[in-house]
Amino acid sequence: MADQALPVGLGEIKISNSPGDVLVAYGLGSCVGVGMYDPVAKVAGMLHAVLPQSLNGTEQVPGKFVTTGVPKLIEEMEKAGALRSRLQVRMAGGANMLTAPGAKQAFNIGERNVLQAHTTLDTLRMRLQAEDVGGTVGRTVRLFVNDGRMTVKALGSQEKALT
Amino acid sequence: MNTDDNLKLFLETTGIQGFQHAAEGLSGMLGEQITPTRPATRMVPLVEIPNVLGGPEREAVGIYLQSEGDLVAQFVLVLPFEKACELVDLVIGEPVGTTKVLGSMERSALGEIGNITTGYFLNRVATIMHWDARPSPPAVIVDMVGAILNVVTATVAGISDEVLMLQGTFVRAGREVEVMFWIIPDANSLDMFKDARS
Repeated sequence: MADQALPVGLGEIKISNSPGDVLVAYGLGSCVGVGMYDPVAKVAGMLHAVLPQSLNGTEQVPGKFVTTGVPKLIEEMEKAGALRSRLQVRMAGGANMLTAPGAKQAFNIGERNVLQAHTTLDTLRMRLQAEDVGGTVGRTVRLFVNDGRMTVKALGSQEKALT
Repeated sequence: MNTDDNLKLFLETTGIQGFQHAAEGLSGMLGEQITPTRPATRMVPLVEIPNVLGGPEREAVGIYLQSEGDLVAQFVLVLPFEKACELVDLVIGEPVGTTKVLGSMERSALGEIGNITTGYFLNRVATIMHWDARPSPPAVIVDMVGAILNVVTATVAGISDEVLMLQGTFVRAGREVEVMFWIIPDANSLDMFKDARS
């Protein structure tokens, strides 16, 4: 049976325990894709966060922000039968898409997203197993439900496993 | 960005006029008539932004500028990679299909198109609002649509659920290239627009 791509859009959190599903966050720039996988329960989840944190703290869509999205992802994984202590956590994205003079300072959102993800995971005592972050290129990230493989692909590059 | 209907109408009208003026600027740059056709605007919901132009993974070119002065805003022109190559051909007067790689000269030509489009838009706003605004040097990004437009989504995600997008076509001697022009005023500039229109 062919794999079924399950797109994870801006600010979304998707969970799946269907072996044929592949969670995909397409074209991440400064956004970060955080993938979690329980290899025993075979439950996978992915967050596509846009910003490090909410400006006013009253955001209705937790997945938009790293600070609210990561705990929500863990919560949804547990609801689907995953065990927190077994979760494998990986992350990709957080690029700086603007390298023009004067633009970098205003747009270090990618870097801030990555730093916030590290901080939030530390606070939650979750270990980040692998990451492919930063740089100046966009990425598509895939998480395969059947075996927990997570891959990253940049434009014009080979898809590589995130281990 | 809570854009009320009057403000949307104003931004749309100004955007279309700015696009038409941009074609004048390109005509001046090339010494040949460039005709702007089918300019239209719409407010695009944030979550739909990466799905334009064939989807978030498609290869595209983004031309990014900021403006400073009375109007602080960001501008992003986005077009599919092959259309960007056609636009370069159109600008330098080569047959379609000549440009296949975007080197420094081609990127410079695309940056100039961004400069002119944004500059004429700003001139239009300046005339109507009696504001002063200057564009920054352009940055040309070649990457996936989703990654390029992350510049837009990351900017507005915390404050708005939709963004003004202007779409139109430049035509030269029967050849046409469609471009998308995203306009993202900062919160203060938007308030100034609102105050000026009320």
